[in-house]
Amino acid sequence: MEMNRRDALKFGAVGAATVAAATMTGCSTKAGEMASSATSSAASAVGLGADLIGKHKVVIIGGGIGGMTVANNLKKKDKDMDILVIEKNDTFMSCPVSNTYIGKLEGMTLGSFIFDYAQPIQKHGYNWLQGEVMAIDRSAKVVTTSSGAVGYDILVLSPGIGYNYEAQFPTWSPEKIAHIKRVAPAALIPGSEHVILERNLNNMEDGDVVITIPSGKFRCPPAPAERASMVATFMQKEEIEGKVILIAEGAGFAKKPAFIESWEALYGDKIVFIPNSKVTDVDPDTKVLTYAQTTGTGKKDEDDFEIMKTETKTHKYEVLNLIPLNKASDVIGMAGLEVTKDTFGKVKMNGCSFQTKTDEDVYAVGDVVGHGIPPSGQTANWAGKQCAEEISARLKGGSYELPVKKAPVKAGNVCYSMVGDMPETAIMVTHDFSWNGSAIMGKGNVPKGPNGLYRQTGTAKALRDWYRGLMADMFS
Amino acid sequence: MDRRNFLKVVGATGAFIAVNPSTIQNELFANTGAMFRAYERVQLLDGAGAPIKISQLKKEMNYVFNYPHVSTPAILLNLDESTAKDVKLTSETGEEYVWESGIGKDRTVVAYSAICSHQLAHPTPDDSFLQYVQKDKPTMAFERSGVIVCSSHLSSFDAREGAKRLSGPAIDPLASVVIEVGEDDTLWAVGVLGSDRFHDYFKTFKPELKKFYGGKRKGKKLVKISAKTVPLTEYTKEIIQY
Repeated sequence: MEMNRRDALKFGAVGAATVAAATMTGCSTKAGEMASSATSSAASAVGLGADLIGKHKVVIIGGGIGGMTVANNLKKKDKDMDILVIEKNDTFMSCPVSNTYIGKLEGMTLGSFIFDYAQPIQKHGYNWLQGEVMAIDRSAKVVTTSSGAVGYDILVLSPGIGYNYEAQFPTWSPEKIAHIKRVAPAALIPGSEHVILERNLNNMEDGDVVITIPSGKFRCPPAPAERASMVATFMQKEEIEGKVILIAEGAGFAKKPAFIESWEALYGDKIVFIPNSKVTDVDPDTKVLTYAQTTGTGKKDEDDFEIMKTETKTHKYEVLNLIPLNKASDVIGMAGLEVTKDTFGKVKMNGCSFQTKTDEDVYAVGDVVGHGIPPSGQTANWAGKQCAEEISARLKGGSYELPVKKAPVKAGNVCYSMVGDMPETAIMVTHDFSWNGSAIMGKGNVPKGPNGLYRQTGTAKALRDWYRGLMADMFS
Repeated sequence: MDRRNFLKVVGATGAFIAVNPSTIQNELFANTGAMFRAYERVQLLDGAGAPIKISQLKKEMNYVFNYPHVSTPAILLNLDESTAKDVKLTSETGEEYVWESGIGKDRTVVAYSAICSHQLAHPTPDDSFLQYVQKDKPTMAFERSGVIVCSSHLSSFDAREGAKRLSGPAIDPLASVVIEVGEDDTLWAVGVLGSDRFHDYFKTFKPELKKFYGGKRKGKKLVKISAKTVPLTEYTKEIIQY
């Protein structure tokens, strides 16, 4: 965290220096021109100083599920609202359902997951800036990006996650981390990571695929187990000899009974779960993963607690999907907001709200929120809509009380995981949301179908329809 | 003769129709002109081609007919309790309109467009995600059953109150199919009230329209004369309900 803060300050300083130079050489007109092309709203730049390429009532950082939902819904409420979305990528790739690409399910190609931003921008009419956020100055209310600096009245942060290799592997050099990212990417941030993982699987010889589950909060808690299912179905279809090894730092994982039921029926002993195991090192050249496994000895101490032992073990892999500790995106550090002290660093929220605790003009949605609701696609969509209600009411001079404060929201989250192919079967979890006086919490429920099984063909159809609908909600 | 009956019904027994067109004129046409649209007046017939009689509708059973387009499904329900009266509904874009009531002697019979107002999940000949969940069946979407549930994103709608949204990511009510009962107990569909999603539906489901209706153009054709009305279990192969 400390280091990110320093980096942010450094970037801030660089940004300011560039701006000063531009002013001295009389480039203010040019800055105005940049605004017209970069934010597609020439008028917004008129009358601004040379240090800003635009200023907007609402600036949203992140064109993912949370940010797009806030932008779309604010515009639905007030089509004249002055909104800018800042996004570093020029296309969106979906994390939800992307494991079905790994599993080579029917019709699931890269094209199934990639969406352009042209349709929603055209439909809703907000401004767009493609650029990477370098610094946030909350006192001046300015966001500095690689494409210029913009001012805001209200800032919404939906920057998603980053990876925290440094915390998990303190002895690794930056070069080693970069190497591991290239050959064994986590594939929770869609894009090239998914392409690499898919290629590694396509090219694999007989042998094991190892997937690691980190500790702490991470994006899409059922993702590693869903991925294990999809890798297993891929290996079955391709007749690749070997197992899928799921190594977890904790004792379990999301929807575990439903996954275990599915694995036993569909894959026999092909998927092996190794709990209580902390990944300590990887040698990408020999393809060996080292982990420290804690198990019971069967003996009790004087207080009747089982005596545990920790052993160092290794596993030879053919393909590694190393999912490291997750953390909030560095953008959160740049904003200097108060965050939780865990390894993730969730943004502390201002009560039953998506306003941040630190700054009433800064809101947060998506994976970074400091409520007890799951970091899932549908939750980001729900939070985005709630956040849009709050901001819209505020700009009209009123306020909006989240309905969840008064009564629980039934099935606020619904999350599907594909577990099998031919025929496709899936499992699901729903979360009811409620306010406990200090945070919005989610209570999960993993249902069984009428035949007494968790996995259902109908649920697989629902998964596909859910995905179509969620993407349509944002991009059509 | 049908035409005369229809006029008589409207003129003499306004209470028997779902939405009194004069209400619509006053409340809605003045504002937007968009919340009620009259379509071909068609009679609901069963799978064998015989007229559906309102008195024969089983309680709490999902019946499906395609209306007003040949590919747009609607559900017909005979609820086990009377519907509310004069329900004020608001669309996502802020238009207000009034859903007057169910029809039949106990005001229990209602019809709604079965295309989810959120993201268009609907019954198809292959599967159905949107239907009424009977009171004795569980649902994860709402605190009680006896509501219409879309099991794609788990939204629920109040069948007793003009398909007003109860829970989930949907915002709009389901559009209502305005139905009437003839003097001989027959059922007729005459129009659609509320913000329907037909335009998005035709845009979104091109492959499906091709598969079941021979293409988007053919799927968009308006239903004429009569609409085949069957239980959902006959309409679709698989009901997906949470």
